[in-house]
Amino acid sequence: MKILIIEDEQGLRESIEEYFTEAGNVCETAASYTEAMAKVNVYRYDCILLDITLPGGTGIEILKNVKQNNYPDGVLIISAKNSLDDRLEGLDLGADDYLVKPFHLSELRARVMAIIRRKSFSGNNLLLFNELTIDLLAKSVKVNNQPVKLTRKEYALLLYFIANKGKVVSKNAIAEHLWGDGIDMANNFDFIYSHIKNLRKKLMEAGSHDYIQAAYGMGYKFTDQ
Amino acid sequence: MKLLARYNRVTLVTTIIVMLITGIIYYQAISLILTRQVDKDLIVEENEILDYAKLNHQLPQVFESNDQQISFQEVKPGSVQREFINTLYKKSEERKHRRRHEEYESGRGLVTSVSVGDKYYRVLIAESTVETEDLIKIIFGITIAVILLLLLTLFITNRLIVSRLWQPFYNLLKELRLFNVVDNKDIPQIDTTIEEFKELNQAMTSMSSRVKSDYKDLKTFTENASHELLTPIAVINSKLDTLLQTDNFNLQQSKLLNDLYTAVSRLTRLNQSLLLLVKIENHLLEDNQLINLRSVIEELIIQFEEIFQDKGLKISSELADKVFNTSPYLIDVLLNNLLSNAIRHNYPGGEIRITLVNEKLSIQNTGDNTPLQNENLFKRFHKSSSSEGNGLGLTISRQICDNLGYTLEYDFSNGLHTFTVLF
Repeated sequence: MKILIIEDEQGLRESIEEYFTEAGNVCETAASYTEAMAKVNVYRYDCILLDITLPGGTGIEILKNVKQNNYPDGVLIISAKNSLDDRLEGLDLGADDYLVKPFHLSELRARVMAIIRRKSFSGNNLLLFNELTIDLLAKSVKVNNQPVKLTRKEYALLLYFIANKGKVVSKNAIAEHLWGDGIDMANNFDFIYSHIKNLRKKLMEAGSHDYIQAAYGMGYKFTDQ
Repeated sequence: MKLLARYNRVTLVTTIIVMLITGIIYYQAISLILTRQVDKDLIVEENEILDYAKLNHQLPQVFESNDQQISFQEVKPGSVQREFINTLYKKSEERKHRRRHEEYESGRGLVTSVSVGDKYYRVLIAESTVETEDLIKIIFGITIAVILLLLLTLFITNRLIVSRLWQPFYNLLKELRLFNVVDNKDIPQIDTTIEEFKELNQAMTSMSSRVKSDYKDLKTFTENASHELLTPIAVINSKLDTLLQTDNFNLQQSKLLNDLYTAVSRLTRLNQSLLLLVKIENHLLEDNQLINLRSVIEELIIQFEEIFQDKGLKISSELADKVFNTSPYLIDVLLNNLLSNAIRHNYPGGEIRITLVNEKLSIQNTGDNTPLQNENLFKRFHKSSSSEGNGLGLTISRQICDNLGYTLEYDFSNGLHTFTVLF
């Protein structure tokens, strides 16, 4: 997949680029409005990560440009402005999603993957990973064509892991993804452990490989290696 | 005590005292003048007697008269000293009808002496002063009546006019009570011609606008500061996520990383809470939609299910349908905060009860067996020492309720902490 990262903050831009760069992915970056416009008007991307406040212009203008020219690129706005108007304006103008800074890279990646899936698998709701088949519309999971009954959160967790496969995902990121911002009552995310244990058990009992590994007590890694 | 009552009391007391003193002086002056008048008559009579005795060498004949009685008494020569006395006056026949039972009435007398030949007489000339006293009584009565009338007038004037005069003051007071640093309403110009009230009004107006602009500056500062913090926090966060991908941490390193994550996540939440608070205060989050509170709560209970299980909390709910046209985002934040508190300040194996009826929502939880301090409860950054929260949750909740026109109340009874939202 091909991704354009439009972000003026160097540290953030580099982190995102590094996180998304892997075999089969192409990441390009733009640090200013003019640079971004130049790239957007020449190349097509599966997803554009768009910061709103940029030197030389606003991300909203870039979004308008994309939509006026009917470019098919998915657009995810990443902005520090969490005001509702900005959010609504962005989504009204045709952005696919809106993520407020600060965010976990794993969350960003899950959102990007969701956008790309929606864009490119139109009509096809199946997500395949080795022996796992996930029906995104029916929200059901099969292992070797054997249905596995997962709870809503386990299902969300699995999708999150697959979107971030090969990456270590922190417990904080998982907790915030599953329980939202309200989850500030626990310094210890022990209940995540039991959650992941359940998911792992269910998948393995259905005949799947053990893909979920604990990583140094900080998080988990979903990998087939 | 009201100013008016105080003023009335002071004026009444001073008026009465002044009036009494003037009354006494008045009485004394009049009786002095009238007594002098009587004394003059007595001297005239004395002269007549002395002249008569000198001319005729005998005592004058004494006639019964209406207003004067004269008596002679032979005494030892030189024993009488001339003096005016207050004496009794034997009533004349015509006057007997007045105060029948009394034979005497008050009078004024002149004691003097006269020598006729070698005889020496003591002479008493007495005159009735009843009429004089009547006059004084009438004058005194009129004075008292005037005092009473004056007092009554004063009282009524104060009541009616003074309270009307103070009306602008009360209007200003009302405006001051309604004053809210958050809203856009200024203190209006009060319609008055009184200089003092005009000045008060001006001072209040300029004070309120100054307070408002200071408050706005402060708010803008909070917003900008929190906003500027977002980017560095985002960088730290992303760098941590990136660091996590590099391999092989030992136990100590991973413990450090974990602590960093926790701290950053707290910082993030604190920052978001501050921004949220500013936005709620600025009414920036009013995307009203029809929502059923019941389903929102049910959704939330499912959302928190694992956390209840993890803490062994027993949750019970009684929910009626309640449909609102309100901001789902704010409602979400409100419920999230209240429920998070109910979980956080609970003990393992405790209980949470949620009740939704038409006019109120209450969330009850077991916890510490002492009630929370009510007055500081909703203040920013006020939290119990054991709390892991950022001290903004209840402030935000209160702010949301204020914005949506609800009331948020706290109560503690039977070991249950109850937060109630009254719609």
